[in-house]
Amino acid sequence: MIGGASSGGGVWGPAGLGGGSMSGGGSVKATADGKGFAEVPAELHDGVAKILALEPEWEEPELKFSHQPADRRPLTVTRMLSMRRLAIIGMLLVLVVETASLQAGPYLIQVGLDRGVLGHDRSVLITAGVASFVAVIVTVLVSALRGAWTGRIAARAMFRLRLRVFAHLQRLSMDYYTNEKAGVILTRMMSDIQALQTLLQDGYAQFFMQFLTLLVVGGVLVHYNVELALITLVLVVPALVALSAWFRSASDRGYLSVRNAVAAVLGDLSETLQGIRVVAAYNRQKQNVIHHRNVVGEYRQANDYTARIAGIYAPTTEFIGLVGQVLILLIGGAMVRRGDLSVGVLTAFVLYIGAFFQPVQQLVQTYNMYQGGKAAMVKLRELLDTDPTVGEGVDAYDLPQVAGEIVFEDVTFGYDPSRPVLHHVDLRLRAGETVAFVGPTGAGKSTIAKLVPRFYDPTQGRVLIDGHDLRDVRLKSLRRQLGVVPQEPFLFAGSIRDNVKFARPTAGDDEVQEAIDLVGLRELVDSLPDGLDTAVHERGVSLSAGERQLIALARTFVARPRVLVLDEATSNLDLMSERKVEAALDRILEGRTAIIVAHRLTTAMRADRVIVIDEGRVVEDGTHADLLQANGPYATMFKIWAEHSLDNSAYRD
Amino acid sequence: MTTIFEPVAEQEEFAEARGHLHGRKDASWLRRMMPVVMSHRAMFFTAVIGSFVALVVQVQIPYVIGRAIDRSLVAKVTPLGGYIVIIAALGAGRWILNLTSRTLLLKTAYRIEYDLRTIIYQHLTRLSFSFFDRVQSGELMARSNSDVRSVQMFLATAPVILAQCAVAVVVFVQMLFVSPALALVAMSTMPLIAVFGVQVRKRLFPISWLEQSLLAQVATAADENINGIRVVKGFAAEGQQVRRMYSVARRARWVVVQDANIRARWSPFLENLPRLAQALLLLVGGWMAYDGSVSVGTLVTFNAYILMLQPPFRQLGLLLMIGQRAKASAQRIFAIVDTEPEIRDRPGSIDLIDCRGELEFDNVTFGYRRDTNVLEGFSLHLRPGETIALVGRSGSGKSTVGRLLARFYDVDEGTVRVDGVDVRRVTVASLRHHVGLVLDEPFLFSMSIRDNIAFGRPDASLADVIAAATAAEADGFVRELEHGYDTIVGERGYTLSGGQRQRIAIARTLLVDPPILVLDDATSAIDAHIEQLIHGALKEAMKNRTTIIIGHRVSTIRLADRVAVLDGGRIVATGTHTELLATEPLYGEILAAVLAEGPLGENDIEDAP
Repeated sequence: MIGGASSGGGVWGPAGLGGGSMSGGGSVKATADGKGFAEVPAELHDGVAKILALEPEWEEPELKFSHQPADRRPLTVTRMLSMRRLAIIGMLLVLVVETASLQAGPYLIQVGLDRGVLGHDRSVLITAGVASFVAVIVTVLVSALRGAWTGRIAARAMFRLRLRVFAHLQRLSMDYYTNEKAGVILTRMMSDIQALQTLLQDGYAQFFMQFLTLLVVGGVLVHYNVELALITLVLVVPALVALSAWFRSASDRGYLSVRNAVAAVLGDLSETLQGIRVVAAYNRQKQNVIHHRNVVGEYRQANDYTARIAGIYAPTTEFIGLVGQVLILLIGGAMVRRGDLSVGVLTAFVLYIGAFFQPVQQLVQTYNMYQGGKAAMVKLRELLDTDPTVGEGVDAYDLPQVAGEIVFEDVTFGYDPSRPVLHHVDLRLRAGETVAFVGPTGAGKSTIAKLVPRFYDPTQGRVLIDGHDLRDVRLKSLRRQLGVVPQEPFLFAGSIRDNVKFARPTAGDDEVQEAIDLVGLRELVDSLPDGLDTAVHERGVSLSAGERQLIALARTFVARPRVLVLDEATSNLDLMSERKVEAALDRILEGRTAIIVAHRLTTAMRADRVIVIDEGRVVEDGTHADLLQANGPYATMFKIWAEHSLDNSAYRD
Repeated sequence: MTTIFEPVAEQEEFAEARGHLHGRKDASWLRRMMPVVMSHRAMFFTAVIGSFVALVVQVQIPYVIGRAIDRSLVAKVTPLGGYIVIIAALGAGRWILNLTSRTLLLKTAYRIEYDLRTIIYQHLTRLSFSFFDRVQSGELMARSNSDVRSVQMFLATAPVILAQCAVAVVVFVQMLFVSPALALVAMSTMPLIAVFGVQVRKRLFPISWLEQSLLAQVATAADENINGIRVVKGFAAEGQQVRRMYSVARRARWVVVQDANIRARWSPFLENLPRLAQALLLLVGGWMAYDGSVSVGTLVTFNAYILMLQPPFRQLGLLLMIGQRAKASAQRIFAIVDTEPEIRDRPGSIDLIDCRGELEFDNVTFGYRRDTNVLEGFSLHLRPGETIALVGRSGSGKSTVGRLLARFYDVDEGTVRVDGVDVRRVTVASLRHHVGLVLDEPFLFSMSIRDNIAFGRPDASLADVIAAATAAEADGFVRELEHGYDTIVGERGYTLSGGQRQRIAIARTLLVDPPILVLDDATSAIDAHIEQLIHGALKEAMKNRTTIIIGHRVSTIRLADRVAVLDGGRIVATGTHTELLATEPLYGEILAAVLAEGPLGENDIEDAP
């Protein structure tokens, strides 16, 4: 495969996961053309290889991530470009030269004809001819320079912006990701940045040159005849300004609805792709297709509105330009008759007024770029200005290696602060203790588990680890000492090995193997021909939910956390696997604190302590045996559960 | 025929795309796109012809102005007024022509975009699970969005630019009539276009392809990060993710710079070809005029003509470049559309109707990958109305059984039969209509709870939705939410707890009321008390249904008439709970690993009510 210079994973995305490793057998696993989905098409092989041969050897990035943004200043175009003053002057100079050399053509022709041919001066003719050659060559060279330069500037600015936005996304807290659709966040990272790139690469330069052209042409007109120039400009410019003002406001309105509509299209598409299995299972294809058509149709209608605006603006400016020409003919004609103006100048005037209107017409295109860039800018600025609700103070310190004592002090919390899920929770988990949280669904068990790694901050009260308020320590130093296994295991595209090593990429192979053994994945891994190198990804179903959960657990084992938080992490497992995992946990957790949220009371039985949560409050706290004896809510719960899950006698000891 | 199995509740406000993509995969990309463009031919050709006529009109305007200057102001033989009227009329004509053709052209472009987007979407919904197992959604998002835009842009603008270039031919012919020698001088630089064309094809096409592909990689990295953010945060792996983004983004930057370099090298060259001709004309033509072999007036006219060639040429350069990009994009789109859905209705398939619910897995072998089989020689028979529990270790293939039954995948060997008919011989929609699958991971959509429950029957009444929710023990907590059934669940339903999501998913299936039910670990996140209540409802619901229960809890297994133990891809034992405990050591091992210390008592499933 091409693209050896890349770091990690298949260069062309999932190609490596495709048909490649599967040979022979039924048609089910082959791509239509027998090739990986995203592989280089055959006809491009040579061309792409030639380009990639030029690609530099990239070094491993040495980036450090910090929860403190390096740059807190609001995003502006100038900051984004971050050009030195000299470079800006250089760029402006290039643009002036380009405009001048472009507009020199007509002037040189006029000189060559008037003074060379009609004035019978061969040397002037030759000079003008050679000069116009030179002008063309200068134009070509300067345009090339400008194109390469703006391309480089835009690419660099976009690269930095992309990293800045991405890094900021990493800083944002869980609530942001729950409230914002994934498709919308992706739009920020992709199309918004793309829109800015277009604006930077072509938009600004074009806009500046168009403006410059207006000035130059206006200047030439004044140079030829002040009176006629002023008359024309006074007659034409107001109409032009009025029309442009209308275009601007109409276009802004249209653009806004297009943006909203396209966000809806992408959101719908993204959600369908994520939930495609459910769509298929419930025969929703037809309904979804119609819904998507309606969403795309709205988008089309929004676009149609902008089409009408653009369709009116450009031809109408053209028409105003023509009216200008006619006026020049009428007024200028009268002046010629009076002998105040030469025919030659009048001709030049008529031609130049056309040149005056060209940039105005191109404004449609430039303005679209500008709008796109501006809207993207607003959205990105908004994103970058969003402060993480769970932030890291400037004076946050590194949490020293913890023993694992966790204290909840009068903690009240709600995802929506007005509807608390936890009420005044007071808890003390001793270092090294394994504590099971049980209670009905929605009681707040998972929420407690989410406060420990500081995915959220309490609305009131505080959470302490070894006496340190979680809000005072660096997030990384906290989370690196915790191992959180969420309800739904998420695997990244890559090999099983990469996923197991996710939390500690430096882990040795023996550690990975050990983790695989510990969680009981050995048999599976050995049965795969590629073993640990077998590719998995986000929704890959070649692994069962339980197997993915086991990989997530192995990932946590490799992380060697001081405190383990299992948020219903074993509910997807059969009892035997769960048993294995628990045995592994016993070994690995010696002396470490564990918070286990579970429905299966077997887990509770094995814990040092059981805490019963109901309606956001701690209702019972004690060992399994104590609580059974107390004959409170836990005992009732256990009775129901045991009746339905197990034989009672096994547990009545 | 199958529409009754695919209920639709939404009003169709926009019609299906009239065009389609040409089916011949070896045809050129333009030819493959043509039917889509041609389905809007009335609008499209009006626009193209309109803009061509407008250009022809435009060519006349300088000529008339020139005549006006010559005849009214210099020779003073005709009054100016007449010319002014003609110019105004031509201008008004051009105005109206452009007004219509430009609007129509843009509208055509948006119609093409609409068609492509909906065609791709429709195809995506038809593709099989194995496709989505393989291809990441970030990649598909990029293809259905930016690639569609680049194709649309080209398809809509190319003909107009070509029409403008056609004016060049008209102009050339006109010039030949005036002065063949000067005409040749004026057009002498044009053959150099070919050089440009070759360069563009050789360099721009691959770089465009690379650029799109790297952007898709950036999208994939971002998409994966967003979806996996809980893991990233949990392990404080932000730094690692930023470094990964850095690695992809810097390659994207490099390619953008390469692209800009190539464009910068070739496009000013093309755009300035007419200016080069103008300079030549000044030298050669000026020399000739100096000698008196052509008139100055002719030179002025020629200059005006060459000026007219400039915009089309600028456009032509643009066209060739976006053409390369569009070609690359089109191929990325075709890669989706050409992927045949592996699971589809075979010719002659019939609808499954009045399903009794008899199921048979006959010696089934299946693997997600060619090299490992998940099921091997798997055979199982279920009588109509029977409930069976599948028990096995994680990864033993339990979930696969349900997926094969609903034909998410096709078996490699053997047969799956419903009511004695091979599932591959009935229509997919009718099959899935009768097989209700509660998946192990309850995926909810970010719409209201009511719409989520009514997902499989969007036309269901609120009363039906509430009934299903009540049976799944979801009614209680839903009513406590601020907006009740109209509460919008957040992205993927993450505003609800795992157990709540599972209950919504159960309600979703119960509403469809399928004769065959597969509960794939459907209550794993629900606590025992609620599970017990749901089981009451499920028992009622399972009365006349064939049900496969996949689960680990004895309470769940109790719902079944019979238990089948799955190991090594096949059934190793079937029987009642008691029988299996007595005869099958693996069963006890799997099920009651925790119970090793004590024997089971009398209170086993056969005594359960």
